[in-house]
Amino acid sequence: MSRYAINSLLYHLKKDPDLRARFIEDPRAAIADADLTDAERVAFIAGDMRKINELGGYLHLVMSIPKIGTHGGH
Amino acid sequence: MGRIVFGGAMSHVLDPEYYQAACGDLGRQKVIEAMDAIARMGDRLVERKPDALIVVADDHMNAFSFNCVPALCVRIGKKVQRMTQDNAEAFDKVLDHMANEYVLHEDLANSILEQGVVSGFDLALSWEAPVDHAFLSPVNTLLGPRAIPSLVPIFVNAFIAPQPTARRCFQFGQHIAQVVSKSPWAVGMIATGGLSHFPELLLSRVGETDTAFDRKLIHWMERGEHEPLLDLTADELHKTGSHEFLNWMVLLGAITPARADVRYFGELPRINLAAVEWRL
Repeated sequence: MSRYAINSLLYHLKKDPDLRARFIEDPRAAIADADLTDAERVAFIAGDMRKINELGGYLHLVMSIPKIGTHGGH
Repeated sequence: MGRIVFGGAMSHVLDPEYYQAACGDLGRQKVIEAMDAIARMGDRLVERKPDALIVVADDHMNAFSFNCVPALCVRIGKKVQRMTQDNAEAFDKVLDHMANEYVLHEDLANSILEQGVVSGFDLALSWEAPVDHAFLSPVNTLLGPRAIPSLVPIFVNAFIAPQPTARRCFQFGQHIAQVVSKSPWAVGMIATGGLSHFPELLLSRVGETDTAFDRKLIHWMERGEHEPLLDLTADELHKTGSHEFLNWMVLLGAITPARADVRYFGELPRINLAAVEWRL
């Protein structure tokens, strides 16, 4: 688990609209250079925020990335 | 001689639209009730004519990313800006209608910082960190259209392990009280966040709270019995979703042994909303 790499990517997806737009367009290409494990990469490409959170992604980031984040139920 | 003239703590996403989306009509109703109670607390804050308002809150990876996460950080300088976020969603969206810039009480912030370091608190400082909803939602709800006193934002690392201990946060609050007592200022102080929500910071547990734990915390605060709170562990806070109670521990250190009055407590699936005020 590379906690730093996951959260650094989440942070930049939140704060960098250009990266976010490229990620929405083609997630695999947008994160090609990110230092992620295979499981992390699969979760990002699938947009599986629950899995990203379980792998160490910080909750408030996975909940608040515009157009990508999940707000959770309740 | 200076004095802390107001002490309060409250939840910090104070937005009917957020709770409507998260919890439906009941969420909207309860957060409006909480906001009304907090606005009445603001009436009492204003009556006491504070020269400054210390706001103890946590960052949500908006000011401090993974380049640096300070345990305790004093925001110094002359002004602070609110966090900006394009296409803001969820709790970030509450900031959209708020003023962009707020005046800081530079002398009080510097005093807390400088005297803190001399006293053994290895405090971080920042001239540039913006403040997010954790600071500005309570401040704007307390004061509404009224003038906002000069602020002293203090960041506590509530979320990124290893966090400062509950005991250390309390001790830092005691330090703040000493600084204020030696100053010429009347100071209001609030802590924000909570009560229990987002246990273990897991998305799969969003929607769970720990009301029994919250009521235990309230029990001690109402009685001014703060000693048991010093032994709260990081594990307890994490498992119960009480990470942000560390902010409250700083306030408790500053006003101990004052007793608390609960102005609002409202259970929701997502969070237990609370507003508490101390008898000073």
